[in-house]
Amino acid sequence: MSSSVAIEVHELTRHFPGGVRALDGVTFTVQEGEVFGYLGRNGAGKSTTVRILTTLLRPTSGTAAVLGHDVSTDPGAVRKVFGAALQDAALDELMTGREHLEMASRLAGLGKPRSVERAAELLESFGLNAAADRIAAGYSGGMRRRLDVAMAMVRRPEVLFLDEPTTGLDPQGRRAVWDLVRDLRDSGSTVFLTTQYLAEADELSGRVAVVHDGRIAAIGTSQELKDRMGTTTVRVRVAEADGARVRDAVAPNAVAPFADGWLEITVDGGEASVPAVVARLSAAGAQVERLSIHPPSLEDVFVSLTGSQIEASAGGGDDGKITAVRRGLGVPTGPGR
Amino acid sequence: MTPFAQLRLLLFRSLREGGRNPVLAYALPIIIPLAVLVLVAKTLYRVTDLPGFPTKNYAEWMTPAIIMLTAMTGVGYAATSLVIDIQSGFLDRLRLLDVRPPALLMSRVLFDVVRVIPAGAVLLVVGLLLGTNLNEGILGVVLLFALLVLWAAAYGGLYFVVALTTGNAQAPLALAPLFLPLQFLSTQFVPRSLLPGWVQAVAAWNPFTYMVDAARAMTTGPLTLAPVAKALGVAVAMLIVTQSLSLRAYKRASGGV
Repeated sequence: MSSSVAIEVHELTRHFPGGVRALDGVTFTVQEGEVFGYLGRNGAGKSTTVRILTTLLRPTSGTAAVLGHDVSTDPGAVRKVFGAALQDAALDELMTGREHLEMASRLAGLGKPRSVERAAELLESFGLNAAADRIAAGYSGGMRRRLDVAMAMVRRPEVLFLDEPTTGLDPQGRRAVWDLVRDLRDSGSTVFLTTQYLAEADELSGRVAVVHDGRIAAIGTSQELKDRMGTTTVRVRVAEADGARVRDAVAPNAVAPFADGWLEITVDGGEASVPAVVARLSAAGAQVERLSIHPPSLEDVFVSLTGSQIEASAGGGDDGKITAVRRGLGVPTGPGR
Repeated sequence: MTPFAQLRLLLFRSLREGGRNPVLAYALPIIIPLAVLVLVAKTLYRVTDLPGFPTKNYAEWMTPAIIMLTAMTGVGYAATSLVIDIQSGFLDRLRLLDVRPPALLMSRVLFDVVRVIPAGAVLLVVGLLLGTNLNEGILGVVLLFALLVLWAAAYGGLYFVVALTTGNAQAPLALAPLFLPLQFLSTQFVPRSLLPGWVQAVAAWNPFTYMVDAARAMTTGPLTLAPVAKALGVAVAMLIVTQSLSLRAYKRASGGV
């Protein structure tokens, strides 16, 4: 594995008129060949970071370099080594997919015949052949995004910036973009990916930076973040009379009522301590009707870092998670079995 | 890629795009001037009976003025497209490809200029069919079209200033009726001597008056230096003012060049 630095950002700030501190001292390093997730809510500073790294915006202070080229002092050199798909797919509604790619190739300095070839290659590899000669106004969200990313690839960039590539896409479009990022990862590209979706950061990136109010709140692989900041909980359903018994048995672990008859035990010490807690429940004679284990999620990490949830997620989707955990850990789940 | 090659590529893009929206891009500059010319020539032709009217055929009087009018009835399309380019992020995409932002502005300005040429040509042909004589020959026609494109760039600059300052792609539409008062407060319909005194005074400050007077000198004649020099001076001055304001507004709108 290569260990040279692809992106280096040091104490980067950007203030906008009116006292808005979009970035307030951001420092991180992205290694070559890494897919780096940059996770945060709208307004957290994600796009500002990308616009500075792609030379479209000047930082107020601090430094940033892409493959060793400083974005402030040598923006021309920086622009030659990266490709970027910015937040909105920047297409000309009246141009066809092929025309977009040919124009981008020619502006990137490829000659006319080479540009025609390159456009054809990209249309093929991004699955846009069928729509190549239709104008972009008729493209679906997923197609627009793919064309935009294809335009970012005309120069075979060493570093790729994708700013919220799946925002606003339907599930099918999102899956297509995910596949694309996985392909890029497998081919060894360095990808800087911003997202407001936890699952996306978890799924695609090696390391994740959680950005909040213009600062990096935490940085690490998603497993590291979960281990460091997440909490493991065990939910049990017991007869109402057994509630006090449960509290006594697992103390000092915190117990809180969860939903009709369920209690949620926050397990100190992470997943490894779960069997001991369960054993104490049995020893105390609590009649556990059902039980489920919830390992730390990136969402917990996010909530603990930012004090609020990132995306609306009602408790409803929990069943799938519980089943997966049951199977994965082979934990007995109560009298139903 | 050289800045010139970038500009050529972007101008080609505008022209091709115009071809996909031909009514708005190419037909609109023609429709109003054509209607004015034909209606006026067929309804008001007895104006020429007034003592002191310089031509016998009213169409001949109107044609040069109407050709200059084509520069004023179709502009705005390019300014609107430019605002959309900025808002959609297309300009950012170009900047990432190392295109200097003024190349995009220039490509849109030139598009506005290029598309008045077919409009002017159509009006010239219709004028000839209505009996206009080109007393100054080919030289006059070449000068006429040179002045037309210069005037289109100068007058179109107003639309770019408004579009880029407001950042509103629809804002140039509000300027569209401006050609109406400019038309009546100039020598387009009758010679200066037949205008009421106060209109004569206003017309002297109306740049369009100078375009109309020079266009007549270049077609029906006589081709003398004075009207041509005045028109060039007015058009160039207006070009410098409007386009430098528009470049400034563009730099601000595009987030610095």
